[in-house]
Amino acid sequence: MAQLPEVNLWELGLWIIKKRERLRVTGSSMLPLLKPGDEVLVNPAAYRKHPPQAGDLVVAVHPRNPHQKIIKRITTISPQNTYFIQGDNPAESTDSRHFGAVPGDFIIGKVTCRFG
Amino acid sequence: MVIKALTQFIKSFSPATATVSAHCDGPCGVYDPASARIAAEAVLSMTKKILALEVPDPSDKEAYVKYHNTFARYVAIKEEQAHLAKTELLVLWTDYFKPPHLEAHPNLHDLFWKAAKLCSACKVEVNLEHAQELMDVIKEIHDIFWSTKNRDITWYTAS
Repeated sequence: MAQLPEVNLWELGLWIIKKRERLRVTGSSMLPLLKPGDEVLVNPAAYRKHPPQAGDLVVAVHPRNPHQKIIKRITTISPQNTYFIQGDNPAESTDSRHFGAVPGDFIIGKVTCRFG
Repeated sequence: MVIKALTQFIKSFSPATATVSAHCDGPCGVYDPASARIAAEAVLSMTKKILALEVPDPSDKEAYVKYHNTFARYVAIKEEQAHLAKTELLVLWTDYFKPPHLEAHPNLHDLFWKAAKLCSACKVEVNLEHAQELMDVIKEIHDIFWSTKNRDITWYTAS
């Protein structure tokens, strides 16, 4: 079962100096790891130096709704560097199974830890 | 532990205002085959009404104009509602239904294909049989849809 680190002093400090974005989860597609109301910290600069890896928990822009951010896990990466992102709870997730793999620039950050 | 307690306090005192969606589809995730059924019912109704229209004597100008106006309106509504039914069906098909549903209901793709084709046929023709068949296929989709939610929702029509 996938784990998410708990917040530590380092992450808390990075959030205070605005190097982490704090986001509240809505919806059930990341159960059992994240339930609605849980909060996470996201590193928007995580992929500036190296590309996302399979297994990363990421925040992406919804390909059909640019105003919405979604939280999903990268399951596979194609040779063309598109990312197949899926919810941990496939029965209640709309993800790459529906909207296809997403290009790298849709991925806007890596979830670093749980907040609270 | 102190950090955890501190962040829990921050979270309960002031929850994050920015959200990230782990929804089953954004933005609402609300699906119901009823929307396709209502549109298909309108198609069936318009088909019946077009077929029931009495052609007036062309020398009666008033009746003649009225007939053509009514005929055009019925056709326009049939066209629009058949297109809406198709759109609603395609949204259900591509956004709601997922591979496990297809495993449980192997005829799913055929049903939607048939339903979409019937929507087109109902636009092209004035065919009572096809309009009724569209309703029947949507009923089958209704049954499968609610079975995937383990809910027993009785099929009903507005008319």
